[in-house]
Amino acid sequence: MSSLRRYYKQSATYKIFSGLTVELYRFLETLGQIALKGFETAKYILKGQIDKSELIEQCRRFGITSLPITLSIVGMTSIIVASQVALEMVKQGGGNFVGLLMTILIVREVGVIMSGFAIISMIGSSLASEIATMRVTEQIDAIEVLKVNPVRYLFVPRVLSGIIMMPPVVVVASAIGVIAGAVTANLTSGLGYRAFFDSAWLGIYMKDLGVCLLKALFFGGTIALISCSCGYYAKGGAKGVGEATTKAVVWSFVAIVIWDMFFAIAFFF
Amino acid sequence: MSIEVKNLIKAFGERRVIDDVSFKVEDGETLAIVGFSGSGKSTILKLICGLLTPDSGEIITSEGDIAMVFQYSALFDSLNVADNIAFALHERKELRRKYSEEEIKNIVAEKLELVGLKGIERKFPSELSGGMQKRVSFARAIVTEPNSILYDEPTAGLDPISSTLIEDYIVRLKDETHAASIVVTHQMSTITRTADKVIMLYNGKIVFHGTPQEMLEQNNEYTKQFVTASLEGPMQMLAENGEG
Repeated sequence: MSSLRRYYKQSATYKIFSGLTVELYRFLETLGQIALKGFETAKYILKGQIDKSELIEQCRRFGITSLPITLSIVGMTSIIVASQVALEMVKQGGGNFVGLLMTILIVREVGVIMSGFAIISMIGSSLASEIATMRVTEQIDAIEVLKVNPVRYLFVPRVLSGIIMMPPVVVVASAIGVIAGAVTANLTSGLGYRAFFDSAWLGIYMKDLGVCLLKALFFGGTIALISCSCGYYAKGGAKGVGEATTKAVVWSFVAIVIWDMFFAIAFFF
Repeated sequence: MSIEVKNLIKAFGERRVIDDVSFKVEDGETLAIVGFSGSGKSTILKLICGLLTPDSGEIITSEGDIAMVFQYSALFDSLNVADNIAFALHERKELRRKYSEEEIKNIVAEKLELVGLKGIERKFPSELSGGMQKRVSFARAIVTEPNSILYDEPTAGLDPISSTLIEDYIVRLKDETHAASIVVTHQMSTITRTADKVIMLYNGKIVFHGTPQEMLEQNNEYTKQFVTASLEGPMQMLAENGEG
């Protein structure tokens, strides 16, 4: 019987299933940790226990330092899309719809999702590695021993700054995206700016702007929460910091795509 | 102002790191905990200050704060020395209400003077030597006037002169605060210069309990092996030491 068990434990089937079980356990564990810290953070925010000076510092970090990379990525994505479609649409007689297409694309999707990706790579990774380093160098233990709640001190200002700063970042990035699209369309197909912006207004409704801002708010909070949480539960030394940062980036990417899908189904299905 | 530990048990997985440990430290007294790496010394400190919860047993401390000086100082590297020391005063609601900014500034200066580092308030931890960082962490630990102070290998990684300086500050802080202190250490000089009592841990159990003098007399097989740093004796290094 025992030799049969030993034989089974060496089989590929056992190894695949045990590996999958471990991965599933880790997935659920991370999900639980993020949810737990999310509830705790929300509790402190609702109670108004917010360190204002730290919040201002984190808003500066989230909004100002991320702006160059966010604007570059959204602007360049617009240039790529406009250079691919503008000339073709003008050739096919759809020149009057280039502005509309570009604006819908940027306001509904490109502006917010590409800003999200830029912020994950710049701010999310930095938050996760910062907090993970604090964990492995016992700084978070020191916070606890000094009887200060680490969730209130570390999570609240960071998550709140994500919620506050992501919408304005997305608005500025989307505006830059639309302008970059107009310039590119003009340069590649000779489409006039007047024609571009006249059609741009036709396809945009208040609902689009509202959903865009709502998505930005959710994305900002989610990126900050996941990044802080992955950093907080880091284990080990330098390797643990690296693993926490990678985990934060991967989970944030997946989370904002899932959010985006829910928003698309809820508002545009 | 004392620390009492009764029948403490803590396991990580299958392995009992702390196995039925009991001791008491009176106010104004310093207890040194010694033993091999992985014998559970740091785990005891983490249990006492609440970073870990015991599986069973009791930890009785008098009301008030327990301070801890971490092995690698654990200073907040994004804050300067003054903000590090004043961290609890700024972040804890009851202390924020109690002290004005001017008073906090004075407390920081007073604590820095106590550890012999006057005038470095604006420096960041990365600008300080290991010994200075350790002294700043002393100042941060005592800012809330704690009843008990725990030191996790306070002289680890320091040169002999810096170690002596740190040992002197441990004695000075005990005299100034009259707190119950526990020092986890491997270093004989730290034991003899700072401790009133010593316990030795092996495999999570206390194998020696006495004074530093009794430890040096080597009447116990375990302390004899520790003091002489011998490979021969009842204590065998485990392949996997686990939690320290």
